[in-house]
Amino acid sequence: MVLVLALGDLHIPHRAPDLPAKFKSMLVPGKIQHIICTGNLCIKEVHDYLKTLCPDLHITRGEYDEDARYPETKTITIGQFKLGLCHGHQVIPWGDLDSLAMLQRQLDVDILVTGHTHQFTAYKHEGGVVINPGSATGAHSSITYDVNPSFVLMDIDGLRVVVYVYELIDGEVKVDKIDFKKTTATTAH
Amino acid sequence: MMWKLRNLDMEEAYIWLQRLSSMEKDGTFCLVVVPPSGVQQVDIVEDKGEEFFDPLREPNSNVVGSLDTEDDIGHPSVVVSTEVPGQENAKREWTSFKRFLMQRFPVSKMVSISAMSDGILRSGKGYEKLSMSTDPDELDDSQKFSEEGIRSIARQEYISRLKEFKEKFADAWQSGDRVTSLKLAIKVAKLLTDTSVGQFYPTLFVLATDIMEMLGDMVWERVKQKAEYAEDGTFLCSLPASFRADDVGLDAKETCNNWFCKIGSVKELLPRIYLELALLPCWRFLVDQPIDSIQRLVMMARGVADPLACSYCRLYIARCAQKLPSVDTGSLIRCINDTKHLLMHSMSLREGSQESSKDRRKSLVSLMEPSIEYIMRHIFQDASLKLLESAVVEFGLGNTEAHGSNPSISIIVHNLIKELPVDMVNSKTIDIINLIECCNDYTLDQCLNYRLLGFRLSESKYSLHIVTVVDRVIRVVSQKDMLDEYLKVVDAYVDLIFQNHMDDHLVKILDGISKRICNKGMVGDELACLQSILVKLLSHFKNLEDIFSLNHFLEILDMMYGRSRMIVNMHILDKATRGGLICDPTTIQLLFEVSQALNDSIDQVNVRDEDLQQPARMISRFIDKVSYGADRERHLAFLVECRRAFGSTNELKETLVHSSNSLAVKALIERKNHLDFLKSCIAFSEVTISSVTALVRQLKLYLETAEVALLGGLVSHSDGLVQSAISCMQSVDLVDVSRGPTDADETLNFLQKICGFLIILPGNPEKGAVYTPKSLFALLNSQSWMTPRMRARICCAMISLSATLSQKNLPYHASKSGIPSNDILFYGNSAYFGELVSFSEEVVRKLVDAIKQEPSPVARGSMALEACNCIALSFKMSCEISAICFELLEMARRGLGAKDRYLKSTINLMDSYSTSPQLCQ
Amino acid sequence: MSPAMEIKLSRASRVYRPSVEPLEGKIIVKSTSSVSHYGIRLTVNGSVSMKVRGGSAGIIESLVGAVKPITIVSKSIEVKPSGKIASGTTEIPFSMMIRQSGDDNHERFYETFHGANISIQYLLTADVMRGYLHKPLSTTMEFIVESDKAELLERPVSPEMVIFYITQDTQKHPLLPELKAGGFRVTGRIPTLCSLSDPISGELVVETSVVPIQSIDVHLLRIESILSGERIVTETSLVQSTQIADGDVCRNMTLPIYVILPRLLTCPTSLAGPFSIEFKASIVITFESQLSKTHPKSDPRTPRLWMAMETLPLELIRTR
Repeated sequence: MVLVLALGDLHIPHRAPDLPAKFKSMLVPGKIQHIICTGNLCIKEVHDYLKTLCPDLHITRGEYDEDARYPETKTITIGQFKLGLCHGHQVIPWGDLDSLAMLQRQLDVDILVTGHTHQFTAYKHEGGVVINPGSATGAHSSITYDVNPSFVLMDIDGLRVVVYVYELIDGEVKVDKIDFKKTTATTAH
Repeated sequence: MMWKLRNLDMEEAYIWLQRLSSMEKDGTFCLVVVPPSGVQQVDIVEDKGEEFFDPLREPNSNVVGSLDTEDDIGHPSVVVSTEVPGQENAKREWTSFKRFLMQRFPVSKMVSISAMSDGILRSGKGYEKLSMSTDPDELDDSQKFSEEGIRSIARQEYISRLKEFKEKFADAWQSGDRVTSLKLAIKVAKLLTDTSVGQFYPTLFVLATDIMEMLGDMVWERVKQKAEYAEDGTFLCSLPASFRADDVGLDAKETCNNWFCKIGSVKELLPRIYLELALLPCWRFLVDQPIDSIQRLVMMARGVADPLACSYCRLYIARCAQKLPSVDTGSLIRCINDTKHLLMHSMSLREGSQESSKDRRKSLVSLMEPSIEYIMRHIFQDASLKLLESAVVEFGLGNTEAHGSNPSISIIVHNLIKELPVDMVNSKTIDIINLIECCNDYTLDQCLNYRLLGFRLSESKYSLHIVTVVDRVIRVVSQKDMLDEYLKVVDAYVDLIFQNHMDDHLVKILDGISKRICNKGMVGDELACLQSILVKLLSHFKNLEDIFSLNHFLEILDMMYGRSRMIVNMHILDKATRGGLICDPTTIQLLFEVSQALNDSIDQVNVRDEDLQQPARMISRFIDKVSYGADRERHLAFLVECRRAFGSTNELKETLVHSSNSLAVKALIERKNHLDFLKSCIAFSEVTISSVTALVRQLKLYLETAEVALLGGLVSHSDGLVQSAISCMQSVDLVDVSRGPTDADETLNFLQKICGFLIILPGNPEKGAVYTPKSLFALLNSQSWMTPRMRARICCAMISLSATLSQKNLPYHASKSGIPSNDILFYGNSAYFGELVSFSEEVVRKLVDAIKQEPSPVARGSMALEACNCIALSFKMSCEISAICFELLEMARRGLGAKDRYLKSTINLMDSYSTSPQLCQ
Repeated sequence: MSPAMEIKLSRASRVYRPSVEPLEGKIIVKSTSSVSHYGIRLTVNGSVSMKVRGGSAGIIESLVGAVKPITIVSKSIEVKPSGKIASGTTEIPFSMMIRQSGDDNHERFYETFHGANISIQYLLTADVMRGYLHKPLSTTMEFIVESDKAELLERPVSPEMVIFYITQDTQKHPLLPELKAGGFRVTGRIPTLCSLSDPISGELVVETSVVPIQSIDVHLLRIESILSGERIVTETSLVQSTQIADGDVCRNMTLPIYVILPRLLTCPTSLAGPFSIEFKASIVITFESQLSKTHPKSDPRTPRLWMAMETLPLELIRTR
């Protein structure tokens, strides 16, 4: 069992002072094996904080990231799965599944994680799964200021992935779970 | 060319992955998934709707487990360290100590040496000369004491001559010429009597003892071999690690004895001691108590009157004593005490001399200190408690009568405090302080001993006499008028004062500092010390308010300047921004002033270090943390004030724009009186952005502000900001941008993102709905620096933009603004469509052109695929489109090869759109 | 190639005690062809040779020449009767009692000693007789004789120590005025009886000295006396110098005296009829002085204005 934390669009400190306290108390070092972050952290301190949760940290660049060294896209192989990471503001229209599926084909990954819309979504299509963990701080997006803070935790176990969605709604953390399985291991290299 | 019709709102063809809420015991459901087409790669696992725990809040979380394992790991590592043979550790330590010695005393290019050393070095130069010189003793007496004979030699040459000696020594030994080897070793040992080399002496010591060590190892091996093998090579026995003299045969003993006899015949004292030290472990072949030899050698070293030569000799004694199986702390203590007598003796001789000789004495003490430190460390390193007790008594601790009769020396007391185990420091604090009090000599400033004691006391959590000691030290130090001394001592006790809640001392200290600064002002060292004190103070208090309200604090801060002031200011800001929001107006005002001072100092202090980018960052954090609660107007006013103060720094202006935009959104969420306030925020942002000098940042900020304006329904503002951004790009010569790859990337990012934004920004009815996309497109022509890859990507984004704009329903709208979006404004308008189509055709042409311009076939291939996907997704398949796609696929195949996975999946996609390109031909 | 021969003694140190143990070893002959011979013989010769050179200044007649040596032992045995030595390397072991029990007609076996005028030496020679046609093979090596165990004294339980004081008033030679006026006092202990296998160990303390000290050395002196005709010619020479203090050392600190006796150059103090060998230890303090720089190296025994000294007899003995 491998736990992968996926989050993004924190926009700290410009749009939110910090992660919600309730999230912070849940995220403790030693539990998570990998962190994938879609970008817009925005400052170094956030990077450092994530690093304390788990040293294996993968980040792609959001348009407001202070650190310009993050790559535009990134792929990571975890167990049987190949994961792709991209912030998503480059994909027009934003959050469009067809366009994201195009990116997924390009990256050749089982799971594509993107952000930018600040809304949690999880799609499956013939090419695999596309997940947007939303904004971990509930920061306003280009489109809306009506945003619930959310992030995603993936439990990868063999050919199976359980996706836990943590969403802060009216001060309470609500957790949902999505379970899916890959039938072949063909795309993982 | 026609657009593909898509239902962007719903995307019904795809399956939303279903969520199952945690802790919901009822809902049992299964998902039946029928994939719309293609190979099924992902399968939804049926879930029985069991109650589940999310991994982050599992009751039996593995955090506890991981802590346990860490503990487990901790123990064996301790065991391992004790298993490492002491010899190896000692050797490693010695090696690093030697490196430290050479680094601590760097040598100037020329070394002055006595005629004697010169003679020896010269003799080493030619092998023939060496064999000709009948008696090495011939050289010395006549030349040794003729002081006129001081010569200069280049450091490098000296070192290389010594290395030559070493090689020759090894060669001679290898060829069985042990007499020559020994002679060479004796010569090298004689070099150590020449202390006229001063600063070079530690280096000389290291190089010479290397050769001594070699000699020792070789003799040891030779004797050992004699003990283990008969003359004809037959194996006799192998000596156990802890062998006794009785285990060694007569022949081996005889050989060993011979070596000691040969060394014993060396006339000069110091070389004789060094050589015997080199052979010291060999005493084990002869006697069971080699420690007796150490004791004798320690006594013999007393005969060396030169303080420098003698202290390094003792250093080597301490090093060689480690090679014996048992520790002799007593001898080491005697070494220290002898050094003490030596220093006192030299003090009595030279008292009352001039400034120049004072400097010489100081430098002598600093040259001697490593030896004292090393020996002291080894006294306390592995001594048992009982030994420790007697050791400290020897040094004048725990025996109050001793102080009068047996005074000590500052530098020795210093190293005693430095190396004493922390428990001892605690239990003997009163004695130590008595000892410090009665040592005030030139070897070390007394206040440094008080200072060191403070630091040592801080190492442990609890100390018995801490209150008495701190009281006493503060009393002593308050009589010192020099700011420098005062700060040095106080610095070491600040933490102790805090730990023991001795707040009245803190008041006294601040008072003391302020008084002394008023008298004289401050210079370098003092500033650094004061900085350290203030930083400690800052880290101790929880609230900045408490610090600000301390007597004299702000006054002292005000008198600081330069880098130290900057660092203290940064610590203040760091402290301020570490916590939650900053709401208290007085604090905000004080911090604002601190920030201003900091910002001003960026210009004054020589900015070179990377961490000096820090100040702007710290101020940014402060601005981000300021909160006036619901009083948004006041907050905006604060931002205006900040712009006035920090207008010179780009990074800060960016922060201000972000803050004002964020303020605007907050007002929007609250929805009261927001429109005017919103407009003020946007206006503030716009004005601020225009003064940002970094173009790429400017673009980003324009776009962010445009987004916020649109969120608030300010369409024309938003449009205006977008136009500003575009004209910004047009007006500036972007040749500069292409220099930095990140800037180019960011520009690309901006252009892509703005395409996403133009979907929701209603088209300007006066200038035409496609006006903005067109002016963006025009940029492609004007910006000659753009790479083909960038152009292709931007074209793709524009194709996606126009394809989206052509749909009946847009995928997203500006939320809650209530403004009519493009789909409502223009859908069904044929002129609009016509404009879009002709625009798209132009873009597609440009796209294909751009791809063709890419020189690298591989890059061209992947660009072609990207373009092909984009076109296939955007347009209905027609012969025209198919032909373009076919051409692109062909380019991709050539560049990437037919087996490329992306190419294959793209072909699959094309097949699913089911218009074969061949049909058109 | 002519055959080569060497003697290898059983002890690498070549030290033997003739009255209680045989001299053992082997004769090694290396030859490319076989060697026929008329016997292999071993000869031991021990003798005291003396030479008298010059006299002390002031004596007009100068005696130069050798005094007839004293034979201690001269003995020969046949190790192998005539025969043939095969080609290659041949080892012929031997064991030879140098002194037969009941053989009283001998000189004492003095210990090996190489002095300035007196030399006590023991040589072992191997000869291979090869008739008239061939040159005889011969080789000689020295071995070292130490006193027989039976004759040894018990090791002195505590060496006899003498306490010495060196002050401006104990000096028989003139001193620098500043030395005389300022004064100095160096005290210590040194043995007067010492085993040859032990170092001379004593101690020394500089109690006061107004003039800085440059060096303190212990000189080991030997006194060789030879009966030459009616006269006894005595000469004192320096055996070894050992520095105890280098520079102006701390006052009232005990400095060890630790002098290892050089082998071969020392032997038990001997007072035989025709010659005697005695030793002395001399403690010499050299003070810092401009004058000393103008005098280059000189015999340390010569009294100088900037030196103070104390010479004490030292009896050396062989102990178990």
